[in-house]
Amino acid sequence: MVDIIAEEKTKDGRKVIRVAKENLIELMKELKSQGYNLSLTTAVDYVDHIEVVYHVYNMQKNEYIIVKTETKDNHVPSLTSLWNAANWDEREEYDLVGVIFDGHPNLKRLFLPEGWVGHPLRKNYDLSKAQYINMDEDGNDYVTFDPEGGW
Amino acid sequence: MVEIKTGEVGVVTTTLDQALEWARSNSLWPLTFGLACCAIEMMAIQASDMDISRFGSEIFRNSPRQSDLMIVSGTVTKKMAPRVRRIYDEMPYPKYVIAQGVCVIQGGPYNQGYSVVLGVDRVVPVDVYIPGCPPTPEALTNGIILLQKKIRGEADR
Repeated sequence: MVDIIAEEKTKDGRKVIRVAKENLIELMKELKSQGYNLSLTTAVDYVDHIEVVYHVYNMQKNEYIIVKTETKDNHVPSLTSLWNAANWDEREEYDLVGVIFDGHPNLKRLFLPEGWVGHPLRKNYDLSKAQYINMDEDGNDYVTFDPEGGW
Repeated sequence: MVEIKTGEVGVVTTTLDQALEWARSNSLWPLTFGLACCAIEMMAIQASDMDISRFGSEIFRNSPRQSDLMIVSGTVTKKMAPRVRRIYDEMPYPKYVIAQGVCVIQGGPYNQGYSVVLGVDRVVPVDVYIPGCPPTPEALTNGIILLQKKIRGEADR
């Protein structure tokens, strides 16, 4: 049995499991062997730590389980070894929140172009400096701080 | 970066110009180009309920090279803006742009955000602005009629 920190219920009856990030892969392996599949992942910025949330779904039982883990240094183990569906979800979280997934095969930005400064959904993101995007002749996006250089 | 449109087509006003303006204003071919939720209202104006063909605006074309009206319907993100400009550049002259909805006019609810262009008139020159979130199909039809008046040089400034 995997060590979990706490187990609670949401208002609509879904089970919430809090787990340390060292035991995350082990817990997910066990859930996968019970027939659960990755449904969605999100990340929440609590300023002093980041909480990464996974929703897993069992189609036979029609049951969701929410797995939450915390990180203080932005590093979380990647789940791409278990589900390929985690690949783009984790790239999105890296793009917008700045969570670094250890063991991810291709951890690049998903929505914003390479060269964007900062992660926009972080509380300490600097909104005062507007960044603009333009496209070169080959169709690649690039980022500029110059209002005349892009939109 | 953005050209300024005066609404006057040509330099010398003759009877031929008036005939051309009349013909152009009554055969506006919009581009099939929806960016966000305003596109649902744009689809409604070409359906049978409030068919824009009754007002002299024809079917939606799927290629920018066959159309002369671009209805920018929905939030223009910074990443989409270079694509909007490229599609606008592919359209043949004379070409017209309608900005539909408050997101397109000045950013709307995303005005304080990081990802939305604050007004599509920074990207392409706009002829008619239609405010609303989203504007009703009637408002959009009114905007097209206003654009036709502008092409014929009859619009109230």
